[in-house]
Amino acid sequence: MSNTISRRDFLKLAGLGAATSAVLTGCGPAAKYVTRQPYFDMPEYTYHGESTYYATTCRECAAGCGLIVRTFQGRAIKVEGNPAHPVNRGKTCARGQATLQGLYNPDRIPGPIRQGRAGALSRQVMTWDEALDILAKLFQNTPADQMAFLLGPAPDHLYDLVVELAAHLGGPAPIRFGALSLFEGRTTLIQAAQELFGQAALPFFDLASADLVFSFGANFLETWISPVSYTRGLSTMRKGRDGRRGILVQFEARMSQTASVADEWIPIRLGSEGLVIAALARLVAEVQGRPADSFQEVTPDEAATAADIPPEMLYHLADRLATAARPLVLVGGSALAHRNGLQVAKAALALNALLGNVGREGGVFLSPPAPDGAPHSRLASVQEMAAFVQRLASGTVKTLFIHGVNPLFELPASLGLAEALKNVETIVSFATFPDETALQADYIFPDHHGLESFGYQRVMAGAKEAALSGLQPVVSPFHDTRATVDLLLAALAQAGRPLPYSDEFAFIQSKIRPLMTLAGGSFTAPEEHTFMALFQQHGGWWTLNDMRQQPSSPRGRIAVAMAAPEDGEFYLLPFVSPVLGEAGANKPWLQETPDPTTTVMWNTWVEINPKTAKKLGIKNDEVVRLIGPAGAIEVPVYVYPAIRPDTLAVPFGQGHTAYGRFAAGRGANPINLLLPILNEAGDLAFADVKVRLEKTGRKYSLSRLESRIGVYGEGLEEAH
Amino acid sequence: MKPIDLSLFGAKGAIVEAAEGKWGMAIDQDLCTGCQACVVACAMENNVPFVGEIDAGYGRSMHWIRIERFWEGEYPEIRMTPYRPMLCQQCGNAPCEPVCPAYATVHSQSERINLQVYNRCVGTRYCANNCPYQVRSFNWRDYTDERVNDAIATLKNQYNPDVTVRRRGVMEKCTFCIQRIHRAQDRAKAEGREVQDGEFAPACAQACPADAIVFGRIDDLRSRVSRLIRQKHGVHYLEELGTQPRVTYLVGGAS
Amino acid sequence: MISSVVKWLSEPLGRVALLIVGLTVISGAAWGINVLQTTPEQPIEFPHVRHVSMGIPCLYCHPGATRGPSAGLPSPMKCWGCHQQMEITKTSPLLPPLVAAIENGTPLRWVPVAQVPDFVQFNHRPHLAAGLNCEDCHGNVAQMTIYQNPQVMNMGWCLNCHRERSAGNPELEKKLLDCGTCHY
Repeated sequence: MSNTISRRDFLKLAGLGAATSAVLTGCGPAAKYVTRQPYFDMPEYTYHGESTYYATTCRECAAGCGLIVRTFQGRAIKVEGNPAHPVNRGKTCARGQATLQGLYNPDRIPGPIRQGRAGALSRQVMTWDEALDILAKLFQNTPADQMAFLLGPAPDHLYDLVVELAAHLGGPAPIRFGALSLFEGRTTLIQAAQELFGQAALPFFDLASADLVFSFGANFLETWISPVSYTRGLSTMRKGRDGRRGILVQFEARMSQTASVADEWIPIRLGSEGLVIAALARLVAEVQGRPADSFQEVTPDEAATAADIPPEMLYHLADRLATAARPLVLVGGSALAHRNGLQVAKAALALNALLGNVGREGGVFLSPPAPDGAPHSRLASVQEMAAFVQRLASGTVKTLFIHGVNPLFELPASLGLAEALKNVETIVSFATFPDETALQADYIFPDHHGLESFGYQRVMAGAKEAALSGLQPVVSPFHDTRATVDLLLAALAQAGRPLPYSDEFAFIQSKIRPLMTLAGGSFTAPEEHTFMALFQQHGGWWTLNDMRQQPSSPRGRIAVAMAAPEDGEFYLLPFVSPVLGEAGANKPWLQETPDPTTTVMWNTWVEINPKTAKKLGIKNDEVVRLIGPAGAIEVPVYVYPAIRPDTLAVPFGQGHTAYGRFAAGRGANPINLLLPILNEAGDLAFADVKVRLEKTGRKYSLSRLESRIGVYGEGLEEAH
Repeated sequence: MKPIDLSLFGAKGAIVEAAEGKWGMAIDQDLCTGCQACVVACAMENNVPFVGEIDAGYGRSMHWIRIERFWEGEYPEIRMTPYRPMLCQQCGNAPCEPVCPAYATVHSQSERINLQVYNRCVGTRYCANNCPYQVRSFNWRDYTDERVNDAIATLKNQYNPDVTVRRRGVMEKCTFCIQRIHRAQDRAKAEGREVQDGEFAPACAQACPADAIVFGRIDDLRSRVSRLIRQKHGVHYLEELGTQPRVTYLVGGAS
Repeated sequence: MISSVVKWLSEPLGRVALLIVGLTVISGAAWGINVLQTTPEQPIEFPHVRHVSMGIPCLYCHPGATRGPSAGLPSPMKCWGCHQQMEITKTSPLLPPLVAAIENGTPLRWVPVAQVPDFVQFNHRPHLAAGLNCEDCHGNVAQMTIYQNPQVMNMGWCLNCHRERSAGNPELEKKLLDCGTCHY
């Protein structure tokens, strides 16, 4: 035998080796073959290897975008926008795209649970019959006026049912709330429209046809009211009309994602928005040679000083506004979150009136009513929530039902909800996920996920058309969940107080039936079954005509002044995380999607101007303690080059103590720094807060997509 | 540019396209709002795994498309450059192709895009090293294995059956949603017609709320994308390297 | 340490040990290869031969082949469509699992045998459209009881046919020999 191995021998040995390793690594039949479980009885409309598509409505926020969901062999595979839907016209946002990570979230509540206010999700599983007994007993034994319903922000079929239910039993009407509305300044805008135009409706800002937009505090490309619709508006504006591209100027203390897209960002001091708007109005009136009585008390130089911008800039901006063909002033978000927020909103609407663009293309309209012409029901303001918490604390509420909202996370802790809940005898949650509030409930009777549910939702804003967006299950329920409407109807029947609907679908049908007689809709049908089928197939029903309401001529006085915050070192600007929104923290892909402006993933940060950071000797990733009037949080620093030196900004969306493995114990919640200081419309004045900053001496490396070292070696020193 | 047959240098499968490509994309940076809808849409369509906070901090996140932004100046004269969605440019002359020792990054002759053949990839990461756009991502762990990440046990229900689920040690990147290209072509062929312009779009373009991403045939002068990329403010990033990118960025907006 | 092991291996006892280890590994490998070649157990020993001989076309039970990627496995309800009218359903020793499935409303867990790895995106439709018949790839199923692959379905086998069919047609060659046609 020679010492060398021939090539042929080597190959033989290698072949044997491969076969052996295949055996030893367990490459047996179990690894090779997988069993398939075909349908027992395949639905008629399903074909092997082909997808089925269903139209439904997105439930990630209250905007009500239409979706088309691709399903494959009974599983939801991909979410796309519904091209026919008036709100989003085939498009979706990041949160809508990640809906499936909610549907197939590993931390969903698997079935009815006797939670018993345990801090963690209880393992005491019940049957739905037991759940029904409990609910029926609650309906029997609780006096109607000692019952309370707290629902999520969407005006959906559940809300309609609970309104009927409450009226039927003789109890108080349900309350709807969501943290987004708190940050949007919705109530303030509606109140301003009411006081100025005499119509309580949400203003609709027609970006698409405007050519110069001054936007104050509204983060309309992120989470504000109907972001997909407003993004489409901006896109249309930018593509230009008659070859002229529209210009967006954003006034904000911090460069938000919206401001970063704007053509100009004017960093005005927090609280000076009203003064700046008023000064602009006075200057515009002067340029146009018209009286501006409401704004005579404001001098532009004072306003410029208050806003910390050069007076010439203000004059120049006013000139541009006065001479633009289709100017538009947009207001919302942090601009309204001051004690004088209502006056700011009124001033902005009045400035629009002065510019002559109220009810004109490229101007301000009021959002369409519901398809049946009824005005939209309003979400609760923080003031109303505070009153509600008081009611709970006083012990006059025996039974509290919570669905679709997580107030322990979404309301400032200083409102005292956690304490107030202890005075409620029984709390029933219908939560899909084990969020903070659900864990404090006595029972959790989980509702289906939005993609597993029947229903409808009124479109409150974002579409020119009046629309009722339809929901239908795209997959059968993944867990042992039950539709809350079904459950409530069944419980009422068992309690001997039935409503005249046999089940959820009958209820929905009864509400959709009136649409059949309306003219000018997206489809018609001669009889009810066809109409219902088309309603589901189209993803809703909407008018074909523009149904935006013309505001009447403005009236009333406006008095704006500089908002005066509490004492403190820095202005605090909490903002909703553009990627997570209010409820995205439990979806791993949203967690790993970088924040657009900072590229930070998976955590909370505080943004500090580089000069301020240098002065304080603070570097990136240093953990600091922010001490606000109501509490303190600890967050790592992100040195952000585009924020005012007197302002700190913290995103809202993280800081959960529950809500599943991807959310719990991650980041901090800035809402807990805030005292319940309100503006005149009852919205939270969250931007009227000052905080102190303390170093902790600790470091936490934020995960970010961008490099800490710039292209020219900036940050190299700090990185070492 | 004269075609060079790189197979002369032993790089079989890598070609330089003399002709224009087939599929291309126009991204209008003036319309992009940086909203990340494309990023999430891409991940949902292509079974792109998430890696968790720690690995993401090490730069191991798997995004096939990312939104870039840069700062200019200092406060208060600071500007953010327009958002720039960066994805595989499907170069006609791709730097990643000739360096792969396993012939796993090859050029598709029929679709004229860069392919990543997962079953050939052995994870040398030469391609990622050579990509001037830094758009390739590497599976450092078995992120899609439920034995490693137990959340996958339920999350896997949303996996797209048209896209391979990748394992540890494999490089991956944007494919221009080749599964959608194939599906559209197959459907058109079954119906005996050509694929129409705008009949389908990759996940990113379909989701984009600002309509900033337009996809189509760049060898068809009538298609929407070719009309857009012939506008004078279209640029190809790093084209000075001779990569012949198939993604055209429109900068500056309408005049 | 290592040298003493090597020395022991050259002694008679060591050689015997080596032989035993070698034999174990080889027989293990042989067993493994054998296992890989045997067809898996199915819920019902389905006699393709009986069904084909009655003149039932393949596409009756596997209709997906003309539409898209997957030919599909029939649901129990499809079997029952014929079998509930047949006397043999009560008497055949093979059929109790079907009856049980119908009674309990549970699906039958078939084990697909003609399959490709995860990283291959196979589509039936273009193959049928190109004029291939089922038996060109799946063999003479009319002679089989439980289906068995007539050949190893690997990439070489796919490519042989793709090469033959595209020979002389550069456009088709581009498409049929492109990695991206099957791998993505």
